Amino acid sequence: MATWGLHAYRARDLTQHDWRTEAGGTVKPAPFEYHRPGSLAEALEVIGRYGDELKPLAGGQSLIPMLAMRLARPSHLMDLQRVAELRRVVREGNVLRVGAMVRHRDMERTAEVPSVVATAIPHIGHFQIRNRGTVGGSLAHMDPAAEWPALSLLLGCSVVAVSTRGSRRIPADDFAIGPLMTALEPDELMTELLVPLPEGGGGFAEVERRSGDFALVGAGCQDGTVVVFGAGPRPQRLAMTEQFIKAGGAPGPELENIAALEIVARGDIHASAEYRRRTGATLVNRVVRQSRTHVEGT
Amino acid sequence: MELTLNVNGREWRGDVPGRLILADLLRDRLHLTGTHLGCEQGVCGACTVLVDGEAVRSCLMLALQADGCSIRTVESLAPDGQLSRIQAAFLRHRALQCGFCTPGFLMSITELLDSGQRYNREELAEMLSGNVCRCTGYEPILDAVLECQD
Repeated sequence: MATWGLHAYRARDLTQHDWRTEAGGTVKPAPFEYHRPGSLAEALEVIGRYGDELKPLAGGQSLIPMLAMRLARPSHLMDLQRVAELRRVVREGNVLRVGAMVRHRDMERTAEVPSVVATAIPHIGHFQIRNRGTVGGSLAHMDPAAEWPALSLLLGCSVVAVSTRGSRRIPADDFAIGPLMTALEPDELMTELLVPLPEGGGGFAEVERRSGDFALVGAGCQDGTVVVFGAGPRPQRLAMTEQFIKAGGAPGPELENIAALEIVARGDIHASAEYRRRTGATLVNRVVRQSRTHVEGT
Repeated sequence: MELTLNVNGREWRGDVPGRLILADLLRDRLHLTGTHLGCEQGVCGACTVLVDGEAVRSCLMLALQADGCSIRTVESLAPDGQLSRIQAAFLRHRALQCGFCTPGFLMSITELLDSGQRYNREELAEMLSGNVCRCTGYEPILDAVLECQD
C-alpha cells in the first residue's frame, strides 16, 4: 500500500526548501536514483528490487510537484516512458484494455471510449495537463477528487497489477483505499485498466471553482450505477439511490434527498461537508436525468 | 545522465542529474529565460513550452523525460527579431501588461493555432483557463487569438 500526505502537492509553504545548486542549475527534488527501464520485464525487476523505496513516474503531473516540494522523497524513481507495453489501447470484445501510460489526451482521441468517459475527460485539469497526465498515474495517485478513480468505480473497471510474483486483477472498489492510498503492493506495477464498455449513455457532472480546477464534488451515472466523488475520502457508490432507481424511482426531490442522506462528505478549506453533500445530491439528480435522456434518445 | 534534446531547432546534448526539472534546464543551462517560472507546481502555466508540438508545463517534467524530444520555447517565435503573427496581435490588442504570463500564453496558443482547429470565443476561454493572467482580464488575449485564427 502506497501512501502520501493528503493533497500534499497543493501546499503553498515553500519555506522548508533546501535549494541546492549543482553545476549548472537549481535542482528542487531531493536526490534519487533515476531508472528508465526499456521493457515491462525490466520495470518489474526494478520495482521488485526496490519496493517501497521506489516511486514509478508516469506523466508526473502530480508526482513532479510533490518531488519538487520534497513532500515525496523516494530513493529511487522509475520513469516508465520507454515501456512501450504500457501505452496500448486494445479493444477485446466488450472490454477496452487501457495501458497505464496512456495519456488523458490519447483517450480524448480514442473513438471507442464510452460516452461518459468522453464527457468526463475535459474536466481533467487543463489541456496542457492532459497532454502529459496518464490514466494509470491518476489511478495510482488516487486523489479523491480525480476523475479516473470515479469513472473506474462507475464502469466496474479492474486494475491489472503485475509483479515478478505474478499478475492479479483488482476491482476498482477494492483498489481505492483512501486519499492517496491504493491496494497496490510495493513491488506491484499497474499495467492496465480494464474498462467494460457499457450499453447505453451515461451522465457525468462536477462542480469546480474554475474550469480545470479540482472538483469540489462530482457525480456519474451509468446503467443504474451512481457514483459521487470529491466529497469523501474515496469515490462512493450510492447504494440507496441505486435501489430507488431500480425500483422505478425518477429524478426529482426524492432522489436528491436519498442521495444527500448517503453521501459521505468531508469539509475543508475549499468547501464545507454540507455544501459537498447538498451539491453532490443535486449533481446526482442531474446525472441520473442525463443518463435517462441518453437511453430515451437512442 | 546523458540527455539529447532539440531546442528551437538546434540539437543540445549534456549530462544532467535525474532530478533536474525541464524548466530549470531551459533557464539555467540553456539561458532561455523567456520561459518564466511562476508557481513551479503546475498551476499558473507561465512555464508552458511545446514538447513535440504539444503544450506542456515545463515545471512538471524532469529534463530526462524530454530525452529525444523537440522543444519549442517562446524564443522560437521570433528567431530573427521579427514578431510572429500572434505576438504582433498581442501587441496590437494590448493583450499583455506586466508580461510575466505572456510566454506561457503564446506557447499554449501556438499549439491551438498549429492544430488548424478553429475555436469560438467561449471555447478559447476554456482552453486558455490553464494559463493565469492577472493583468488583462483575458478579453484582449481572446481578441488576439481570434484574429490569428482567420
